[in-house]
Amino acid sequence: MAGFLSAHGYEPGPTQRPLLAGAISGMVATAPAIGLLHLFGSLAVEARIVGMPIAGTIGAGLLVMAFAGAVYARLLGRAANDVRGSWLFGMAFGFALWATGGVFILPLVGNGELPAGTPATGVFLSLVVWGGSLGTLLPFVHRRLHLSVNEPGIAERLGPSRAAKGSRR
Amino acid sequence: MIRVVSLRKASIAGIFGALAWTAVLGSLDILGLPLFDIVKELGTLAFSTDEPLGWISVGLLAHCLVGICWALVYAYFFWSRVSWAPAMQGLAFSIVPAILALFIVNPQLVLMHLDADAVRLTWASVLPSVSLTQLGGLLLGHSIFGLTVGAIYTHPVGYPANRDPPLLRLPPRTASTRRQGGRQIGSGFIFATGIECSYPTIEHGGWRRDEMESTRHYARWQEDFELALDIGITHIRYGPPLHLIFKGPGSYDWEFVDEAMGYLNDHGPEPIVDLCHFGVPAWLGNFQNGDLYVALAEYARAFATRYPWVRFYTPVNEMYVCARMSALDGVWNEQRRDEKAFAAAAFNLARASIAMTEAILAVRSDAIFVNSESSEFCQACCPDPEIQRVAEFENERRFLPLDLIYGHPISEGMRRHLREFGIDDAEYARVTAHKVPRRSIIGVDYYEWNERLIDSDGHPRALGELFGWYVIASHYYDRYQRPMMHTETNRMDASDGPRWLWRQWHNVQLLRSAGVPLVGFTWYSLTDQIDWDTALSRAVGNVDPVGLFDLNRDPRTVGLTYKRLIDMHKDQPGYRACPALERIMG
Repeated sequence: MAGFLSAHGYEPGPTQRPLLAGAISGMVATAPAIGLLHLFGSLAVEARIVGMPIAGTIGAGLLVMAFAGAVYARLLGRAANDVRGSWLFGMAFGFALWATGGVFILPLVGNGELPAGTPATGVFLSLVVWGGSLGTLLPFVHRRLHLSVNEPGIAERLGPSRAAKGSRR
Repeated sequence: MIRVVSLRKASIAGIFGALAWTAVLGSLDILGLPLFDIVKELGTLAFSTDEPLGWISVGLLAHCLVGICWALVYAYFFWSRVSWAPAMQGLAFSIVPAILALFIVNPQLVLMHLDADAVRLTWASVLPSVSLTQLGGLLLGHSIFGLTVGAIYTHPVGYPANRDPPLLRLPPRTASTRRQGGRQIGSGFIFATGIECSYPTIEHGGWRRDEMESTRHYARWQEDFELALDIGITHIRYGPPLHLIFKGPGSYDWEFVDEAMGYLNDHGPEPIVDLCHFGVPAWLGNFQNGDLYVALAEYARAFATRYPWVRFYTPVNEMYVCARMSALDGVWNEQRRDEKAFAAAAFNLARASIAMTEAILAVRSDAIFVNSESSEFCQACCPDPEIQRVAEFENERRFLPLDLIYGHPISEGMRRHLREFGIDDAEYARVTAHKVPRRSIIGVDYYEWNERLIDSDGHPRALGELFGWYVIASHYYDRYQRPMMHTETNRMDASDGPRWLWRQWHNVQLLRSAGVPLVGFTWYSLTDQIDWDTALSRAVGNVDPVGLFDLNRDPRTVGLTYKRLIDMHKDQPGYRACPALERIMG
């Protein structure tokens, strides 16, 4: 799949800021996820498992999700900017995070405990919704962060020397 | 964008896949073979088993939603990656969700059904805890889902040739906040791009490819023009969709074109209007139609009358490529594979181009014609006389349509060949008996696959950039002695686009310095294209990252590079005013 993404537009190009756009989107997308976690009683269970107060758990979650958003945006490159498909890519990323983080990593940091019952459903839904929100938001955040094509330094990298292959001799 | 996907088709496929799964496994349950009931597993997360209406509704809804998501994943990442029957592709894909269901989702569903808010991690909660019947049910269910999705999800791009595009909405022009200036009419060097607009049919005339629809130009036409202006494009090669406009003799639908052409007239870039691009409306058949020239001349006259301000025209784009792909390689339109069909298509296309040119001149006598053709060259691999003969013949065949429209004599060998395949001397004389307009420019397109090696079996193989555009374009100039323009180039490997752009540009500069009246350069196209990696032969939806902008309309590095190139050169002597173009326009 990496080759496929690469062939069809992985490289973001010099005017895009995928890490920043992804981090902001990832952080904003935690709002509905936190709501779901609270609704399903998952937040209190997670806080108990990781041994932190609820506010601390939310704070740590925001940071982790900002980082995850940046990873997502860098990984998908230009594909993350596609309005029609990005919600799906984000949701798939959220599912992958759930499959790795929610199922395997949380027990590792939580002394072998993991959510069950309704809180487990909440964890699953919150990550899928977070991913969907991340994917939906990112194309719009990305547009606001575009560098101008006239930004100093960009044009110099694109001059006639690009015609040559390899280093100067 | 990774790929152009039909969200509607994928959603339908996902819903039907989920329903088929439920129906088959439900039937087996009724017949006394209970397997894995996914609807119950999902539904009882929200409702107790005592509330069947509730859990069946929620379970079915959740199952369908999951089905849609997986069908979309299939559409984006898996569909057409292998050349199997569609249902088999779906079956192979179903292994992915089946494994995830077995090792991740099912154990978690078991945990979600527990009457506790947390449990201690054990092997039982990580490893799959399914019985053989459940395992059989999971595998069977996923197989049915995959087969159904695979069978339904095909042809994500294009539409049946006898219908208009589905859900075609043409947004009206909005007040531009970015463009205040008017169209610049000058005789400076042409820095061009194009909106990719090919519309051939495939599947023996049944399926219409429409690049403007696939790249969403119909929906984003105004943004596309504004992006072109943003990077300094002066001229745009633009092919309004003949198959959607020309409804029948004397019958036209100008709705979309009026909006788009109105914008171009007001703001630019200056359009080089491409009237026939690899296809014709269904009612005209294909390029074997000997009366094509009558209908296309009528269309050209109607177009020129409706938009009298348009000065640049390409009556028929790449006649040689069109004839070859339609009648010799069996890919588009009539999909023939014989010399007789090729000769007929080449003559019909040339005749149409001549008739369209005359029709346009009758309306606008100072019209300028950019006759774009693919530059081709074949190199014999070895001194074998038969291989040499094949290379020489192909090197003459490449000129045939241009020879016809420019009245250039063809060799006795080519005359014999044409006679053998149905074009007699009278027909040849009839087509070539016309006056060539003074304001004609030869457009020479060039891609990395245009130079070919005739191998020891007599088959052509791509050579890459061996001699380069300068050498191949010189062949065309030496033959016709007319003003020239580099009318198409791009690079499939986006990361190499800037290097390719500068190299092509240096070819242009060298040809100019050699005294050839060269009036313009084109990076083709403005946005990425769809399925050109298979010459549009299969409706797959692959994105070829060749554009100045991607399909999100974000600039590619080559787009920024082209802006830099234009900024560097547009005010230089010889470019601000291009003497060769001044002579043509005068």
